[in-house]
Amino acid sequence: MKSGLKRALSKTAALLIVVFVVLAAGAALFLLRGGPAETTTTSAPAIPKKIAVVYDIGGRGDLSFNDMAYLGAKRAADEFGLELVEVQSKSESDYLPNLRTLARSGEYLLIVAVGFLMTDAVNQTAQEYPDQLFAIIDGYIPDKPNVLSVLFKEHEGSALVGALAAMVAANYGCSAVGVVLGMEIPVLYKFEAGYYWGIRYGEQVYKQHTGQDVSLNVLWTYTGAFNDPAKGKTATQAQLAQGACVVYNVAGATGLGIFEAVEEKAKQEGKDMGPPFAIGVDADQDYIKPGFIVASMMKRVDVGVYTAVKRALDYYQKKIDKFGGILELGLKEGGVAISKLEDLETFLELGIQAGTVKEAEKQQIIDKVKAMREAIPSWIWEEVDKLAETLKTNPDVAVDGLKFSDIAAKIPLDSDEIKQIRQQLGVPTG
Amino acid sequence: MERQKLIESLYRFAEIMVALIAGFAISGVIMWLGGYDPIKAYRAMLGTSILTTDPYNLAMTLSFSAPIMFTAITFAVGVRAGVFNIGAEGQMYVGALGAVLVAAMSLPGPLYLPLAILFGSLLGALWGAIAGVLKAYKGVNEVVSTIMLNWIAFWVVEYTRVDLLPNPRDPSKTIEMPEPGRLPILLKGTELTASIVLAVVVTLLSYYLLWHTVLGYEIRATGMNPRAARYGGINPERAVLWSFIIGGIAAGLAGVCEIAGRPPHYAITTGLSNLFGYGFDGITVSLIGANHPLGIIPAAIFVGGLTAGARGMQIVAGVPLEMVKAVQGVIIIALAVPGLLRLLKTRLTRGGG
Repeated sequence: MKSGLKRALSKTAALLIVVFVVLAAGAALFLLRGGPAETTTTSAPAIPKKIAVVYDIGGRGDLSFNDMAYLGAKRAADEFGLELVEVQSKSESDYLPNLRTLARSGEYLLIVAVGFLMTDAVNQTAQEYPDQLFAIIDGYIPDKPNVLSVLFKEHEGSALVGALAAMVAANYGCSAVGVVLGMEIPVLYKFEAGYYWGIRYGEQVYKQHTGQDVSLNVLWTYTGAFNDPAKGKTATQAQLAQGACVVYNVAGATGLGIFEAVEEKAKQEGKDMGPPFAIGVDADQDYIKPGFIVASMMKRVDVGVYTAVKRALDYYQKKIDKFGGILELGLKEGGVAISKLEDLETFLELGIQAGTVKEAEKQQIIDKVKAMREAIPSWIWEEVDKLAETLKTNPDVAVDGLKFSDIAAKIPLDSDEIKQIRQQLGVPTG
Repeated sequence: MERQKLIESLYRFAEIMVALIAGFAISGVIMWLGGYDPIKAYRAMLGTSILTTDPYNLAMTLSFSAPIMFTAITFAVGVRAGVFNIGAEGQMYVGALGAVLVAAMSLPGPLYLPLAILFGSLLGALWGAIAGVLKAYKGVNEVVSTIMLNWIAFWVVEYTRVDLLPNPRDPSKTIEMPEPGRLPILLKGTELTASIVLAVVVTLLSYYLLWHTVLGYEIRATGMNPRAARYGGINPERAVLWSFIIGGIAAGLAGVCEIAGRPPHYAITTGLSNLFGYGFDGITVSLIGANHPLGIIPAAIFVGGLTAGARGMQIVAGVPLEMVKAVQGVIIIALAVPGLLRLLKTRLTRGGG
């Protein structure tokens, strides 16, 4: 027993020695290199020269939401001569340490948190560092003077693509349209509500033009992830099998799987163009699978981020005396829009930068998207544009007794409200 | 005998050093090839996590060490009983679920935490016991059963989050642990909560249990040679089952601590994204720590430091997260290789016991 204890102790001691020696060796090595990477404390300049963008677990490379945020931050940094620092999050537990690490350094003009999921973390950090300016995309923090909440009227843009989806589906004689979504967060309810409303609106318009009654089944799936293309693909294949021929991507990088599924189905049927079609999101994604993405609901996160940086600068330069609050961007403000052929050029750059598109293929892609658009009756496109104008001027336009403005008035939607809207618009409530 | 021990310890030490140097060197080459400055990156990584005097960074490192310390115990106790229990992931999920179930009740404030700990560890133990019974009495391969149970747990918990206990204000999360049920924050303005204290206590308890109790002796004897153990009057099935139960308790507590002790959410988030992966990280921590509770403590702190240092690498050295993950993956694998080889060797020479 005694020797057993002794052995245990010596083993423990050995292990501890190992640890200490490793640490000491590391520390020594480190000190030889001149101490930890400390920030040089020069006299604090009046306006910090850096901005930081913190991404949620979706992360860069989605060719939509997060990449758009980067575009906006990059543009602002270039234009205003600022240094851009990007931080990605591996898990939800990273949000708070990411934000705190940036905030406590005091080096940043503005910290942009990209994504609703960071709301709690921004709220807490903003309280702890009242002198640090924050912006949060899609998060709702109305009561902090140092936080700008950048929100988008996704329901407006979604209504446009919903109307387009319905008319295109009816035009090709399909029985259903679908939407594949990411994580179930309230922001996505806005997409859903607008999309469903737009679908019913599109059916109505289709009837006016052709005299045909259409009643489409609406399919929706939450995949639970923004960064899992495989899940997006499976969900889309299920919807296509149930007769959907237009599927709306509301899923970040998960949506890249939607595009794949749609293209695969069309190619199996020997087509090199839809139907079936997908609808892109956030960015103009029409170039990703040219011919299979009928249009995109552009949510100009880049505009939001750029505006936030500009506002922070203005605040520091005392041009405005209030930074925090809500910045809501809709159709009218150019915050959301349906993609046009002309948008393609700008967004192709995103693909070229990410390495998914080659410079040489550019013209080919533009030609193919153009051909796809021309294959769809032009009155459909005109009706979509007309709806965009209507929503700007007369949001009381109603479908099935549901005014568009009623949806807008209910925002932010919670899970009961979206269930109610689904029911009103004849969508399975789930 | 003592001398042999010393030589072995020195040998182990040399092994760790070689693995560490190899890991850093290989990763350094990867970074260099990717166009990043490896020295700057390593300085940023370690200088914002372990080799620093900044209390905030040290607190962050410890806060990331707590969950993987728990789940490492799960794997280590399994190895001591001669099984590959890789079910910590699922057992942690149900542990977190247990805590959320308690959070959903209306109770007097002081009851939340003890009940959450009780309920979470109980659920974790039950989840571990399923694989334990299958292994001990039906001979079902525990690697297969635990992986399957991990996914069952994932979807059961995800179902609960969506349909049974969603937060009415934010359906991406479950109900939050109410304030009185939260583990206290040890250092204001940091993420460090009392979970680290619990983790260290549980680790020390598991050491005591394995080396100073009859059950621990039985577990270790079974792990060394089940037939000899039976000959010696030990019931190896019982020992194996207990190893799963103890492992389940530890993993369940990891889940509880992530709910009761991780600001700002205090809830299970969508896709279990605030829990995902801690169970598997525990396996590498255990391997680095020679599957010994006292080795697990420094190993968990080191791996927790890597997680914490991922920020510094991005912010100070400008290395993107994808590269950070690759670099840290190589370092961790390099460190785990000696332990893994030894484990496989004993398994194979025993003919797949």
